Amino acid sequence: MYPATEPTDDALVAAAAAGDESAFEALFNRHRRQVARIAGRFFAQREQIEEIIQDAFTKLYFALHTYHGTHEASFKAWLAQITVNACYDQLRRVRRRSEQTLSEFTESETQDFSSQLRVAGSDVETALISRDLALKLLTRLSAEDRVVLTLLDVEGFSVAEIAEMTNWSISKVKVRAHRARAHLRRILRKFV
Amino acid sequence: MFKRNSQNDEHLDRAGKLVLRTAAGDDQEIEKAVESPFLFARVRARIAEQLRENESGGWQSLPLIAWRAIPAMALVASITGGLMLWSGRSAGAPGVANAPVGFGVYEEALADSNDPGVEQTVLSRNNLSHDDVLDIVIERGAVENKK
Repeated sequence: MYPATEPTDDALVAAAAAGDESAFEALFNRHRRQVARIAGRFFAQREQIEEIIQDAFTKLYFALHTYHGTHEASFKAWLAQITVNACYDQLRRVRRRSEQTLSEFTESETQDFSSQLRVAGSDVETALISRDLALKLLTRLSAEDRVVLTLLDVEGFSVAEIAEMTNWSISKVKVRAHRARAHLRRILRKFV
Repeated sequence: MFKRNSQNDEHLDRAGKLVLRTAAGDDQEIEKAVESPFLFARVRARIAEQLRENESGGWQSLPLIAWRAIPAMALVASITGGLMLWSGRSAGAPGVANAPVGFGVYEEALADSNDPGVEQTVLSRNNLSHDDVLDIVIERGAVENKK
């Protein structure tokens, strides 16, 4: 909650939609950290996170007139939806680019990861893998798979929450999660 | 065997979570991005650029649309021309023009290759003249007016 003197998100959205630029700036300052946190679950580099912040707030600006919020939580949910969509679009672009440039795993990467997984045994969470390798592994997943697995398994969102964020149906989220897990297992099985 | 498979899947799922977490950005990177200078200015610049694009899209995109539309229209025209030629030859072929196509209507009537067309075919099949049709219409109008 904000102090009584602070305008609510809904009031700021209404003012920004009417052309008040300072209201839009206030929304940006209030919520940029939330957007950055979501972006940070999908992208590791600062520049990529900044790109998502810019993209999400640009999309938000052009969608202001479509927002009909009635309580505080709904603006955050709406912004989260816009941000997840921006991340999804960016993941698709990155994947398209990396399909052309990504080389296969090097011999040492394969051996390191295999030995890490074997040594860690059942306590696989303690294994150490490089971010480069993790990114290489994840470029083999589709953007949809990556989004659903990150939101479900890393962020711990419920299926219903993910459905709201992604604008997918609940059954689509379930099916996608099942397929994504199976796909990731197939990728990782080569190392075990 | 099934137990072993499920254990193996669990192990792989945990490894998958590890991979997903490793690929994510750490708090420091996130904070740096949030505190990045001129971030709002860049958002504003992007909005302004998009607004400009939307405004100029009206007439600047016309040559692009024409560039794409001309070949498409040429293709449609050539296909239409080809179909006209083909249908003209088919209509001229003996025995085809009067082939029944169902519901008592003949190919000739549908194609309207001769003057009478569908109207004449329907009238002749029911033995009605134009005057009969006019009488029916007037009578029906009178009945409806009485109602």
